[in-house]
Amino acid sequence: MFKHASDMDKSALSGRKFSRREFLGVTKAAAIGGIIAAGIVGGAAGYLAKMPEVKEVTKTVTYTPPLKQMPIKVGYVYVGPVGDYGWSYGHDRGRKWADERFRNVESYYIESVPEPEVTSAIENLVAKDCELIITTSFGFMDGTAEAASKYPDKYFVHISGYRSGAAGNAPQNMSSAFAEFYQLYYLCGLAAGALTQTGVIGYVGAYPIPEVVRHINAYVLGAQYAYKKRTGKNIKAHVTWLFEWVAPEQARLAASALIDDKNCDVLNYTEDTPAVLMVAEEYQKKGKKVWSFSHYSDMREYGPTAHLTGPVANWGPIYLDFYRMVATKTWRSVDIWARVGDYMPWRWRQPIEKSTAGKEEGTVYLAPINPAIPEEYVSLIKQRYEEMKELLFEPFTVEGHDPEGKEPIRDQNGNVRIGPGERADRNALWSMDWLVEYIEEPLPK
Amino acid sequence: MFKLERRVYPSRKTSGLVIFLSFLLAFFVTGLIFYFLGVNVVQFYLIIGNVFITPVLFLQAVFRSIPIILSSLGLVVAFRMGFWNIGAEGQIYLGMVAATGIVILHVFYDAIPISLMLIAMGVASFLAGGAWCLIAASLKAKLGVNEVLTTLMLNYIAILFVDYLVYGPWRDPEGWGFALSIPFPDYATLTFGGHPSVAGITISVAVAALVYVLFKYTKLGFVLSVLGKSSEVAKYAGMSVGRATLLGSLISGGIAGLGGFYVVSGMIGRLRPRASPGYGYTAIIVAMLAQLNPWLILPAGIFFGGLLTAGDALQSLLRLPASTITVFQSVIFLCIVLAEFFMRYKVVLKR
Repeated sequence: MFKHASDMDKSALSGRKFSRREFLGVTKAAAIGGIIAAGIVGGAAGYLAKMPEVKEVTKTVTYTPPLKQMPIKVGYVYVGPVGDYGWSYGHDRGRKWADERFRNVESYYIESVPEPEVTSAIENLVAKDCELIITTSFGFMDGTAEAASKYPDKYFVHISGYRSGAAGNAPQNMSSAFAEFYQLYYLCGLAAGALTQTGVIGYVGAYPIPEVVRHINAYVLGAQYAYKKRTGKNIKAHVTWLFEWVAPEQARLAASALIDDKNCDVLNYTEDTPAVLMVAEEYQKKGKKVWSFSHYSDMREYGPTAHLTGPVANWGPIYLDFYRMVATKTWRSVDIWARVGDYMPWRWRQPIEKSTAGKEEGTVYLAPINPAIPEEYVSLIKQRYEEMKELLFEPFTVEGHDPEGKEPIRDQNGNVRIGPGERADRNALWSMDWLVEYIEEPLPK
Repeated sequence: MFKLERRVYPSRKTSGLVIFLSFLLAFFVTGLIFYFLGVNVVQFYLIIGNVFITPVLFLQAVFRSIPIILSSLGLVVAFRMGFWNIGAEGQIYLGMVAATGIVILHVFYDAIPISLMLIAMGVASFLAGGAWCLIAASLKAKLGVNEVLTTLMLNYIAILFVDYLVYGPWRDPEGWGFALSIPFPDYATLTFGGHPSVAGITISVAVAALVYVLFKYTKLGFVLSVLGKSSEVAKYAGMSVGRATLLGSLISGGIAGLGGFYVVSGMIGRLRPRASPGYGYTAIIVAMLAQLNPWLILPAGIFFGGLLTAGDALQSLLRLPASTITVFQSVIFLCIVLAEFFMRYKVVLKR
């Protein structure tokens, strides 16, 4: 199909050349004819009747054909179906967002690609002449790097991995990107600590990998901060593991068990459906105050009462950035770790009353904040959110953990992990394999 | 009135014809479904056909078909001896585990010389897949437990066992805590012949030949065939039924295990959770389509690999959803089941 289009373009181009040449020929002929005619007519009759016509022709010679830019072709490889209302759905929303704004782009996607067959899907997109190929699952990492070295004139972006030209473990035509949530989980934790009546919060986790572990820790740290500030007591947290990314039925059971057996009343989760939020809403309807959050997209409609806020991602700005790089031929390999503030039109922190917390902006942001959260804590969430934009506040610090700013962050064995004056850097966050002391269950190894 | 009559000896010619007709019927029914969904059916089949004539795409079709072909060949052995092995998926996973185990043994303990790596990985994955199948077989032989249930349930155990390994002891120390094993070094990847597909098809042809020889020329193959027709006859004839069952299932699971070896060593390059998207189940359809003939498994498997590849093209060219190909596969399977019915019975017109 593309081949056909390129042929058409070529013929259009040569057509333009031809018409121009023809045009010049006509001009020349007209000019000569005009001069001869003028000579004859002028010499004989004494006036230059044909001159204005010659002038008019000379004017149109300055015509230049308009520059036409081909749309860039982008191919996406998704691990799940686009209708999963979770991970792949989110990426497809990002694709549409970027396409709508960039306009001069043709995008394709291949969904439900099994991990071993990613190279096959990439070949298919290369055959379609896609210049930029974006693979959106961790399991596609090695296959993407392999394709990047096979096709050095194409550009590749891999989502949620650690291989890129910038990181030095893949060719230079490969970048990586990730939308990071730990800051937002911390803010969810502040809301949880502000609302919990039992002093016990719960978390339904997908897999015990560092990404999920740091989200849980951030959530519990936030809850500890707010709960300690409110009551002077320590928070208690329970974690249940699903060992699945998409498992609504198991997530429902786990959520009910956390509420009924462990006495949790604020639940957060990493599972790609609104199941946990829906369980919280059911308890609210029965008159029990149980709260939960959005995950990856605004899920308020699934729990209008129980929904507090939640981490939301829009991959669109990241994709748009790559579109620009490819279209303007300014590619450089990057290793994007998008946090609060990144890709936001206004990076500088706002005063609390003007805070944009709860509004759509940038790549990662908070879902709308429920007014059920006490005013004091809404202000705290907004303040921290604004400070995070400039990286002035970091959850994994003593200040993020203790309202008095004294207690270091300890793991479950009582070892000090982050002491005064320290803050967790990217390496520490990306390889986090310990849970904070307030969590009851050990980390499965 | 129509009446059904049982065919006493379904002839080879009839069964071939019936299968072929049912295959055509599948194309027709699928075309009909998509026609009513407003899809350009001619273009639909042209895109699928294009996969088999475009070298790059055909290579991808072969690439994806190898694990299906290998586990189908394993199923041929099991099905011919009347052992309903639904566990090729689990045996694939065990094959992956064994191949990865050899790589880890080499990298961390330097236990195997480099030149023997691929052979050691192949042998290990054969034995591991075979042993997994042997569990179900010995339960059947000793306790009479239905193998359909045990092989199916062993699949889930195998998948969770791989999860345990990659989230636990076999997690790559340099993998930032993600669930993956160490990457396989170059000498442990199946790329002889330039492309994994070439290596894979070589192995597949060799295995198909061995399965063919097994049933055509060996005593074990004969015992297995008799066993498949009637275990009573086999027992009455004084054949060692138990031993043959165990050996046959070891071979069946072992060949599927080789499929797992190809997945980790040829396709992914390391062990990952949920690495097989159901090759072991697709293999059942392929084995049925090929009528348990080892040579026919090869084209049937490549056809299914081609369908998967065409699925990608259909998504990007016609913007159809990924499930399109699943629909096509399911229609094929239903038509084959229908064909089985017509092979056993014939319709007679009676007044």
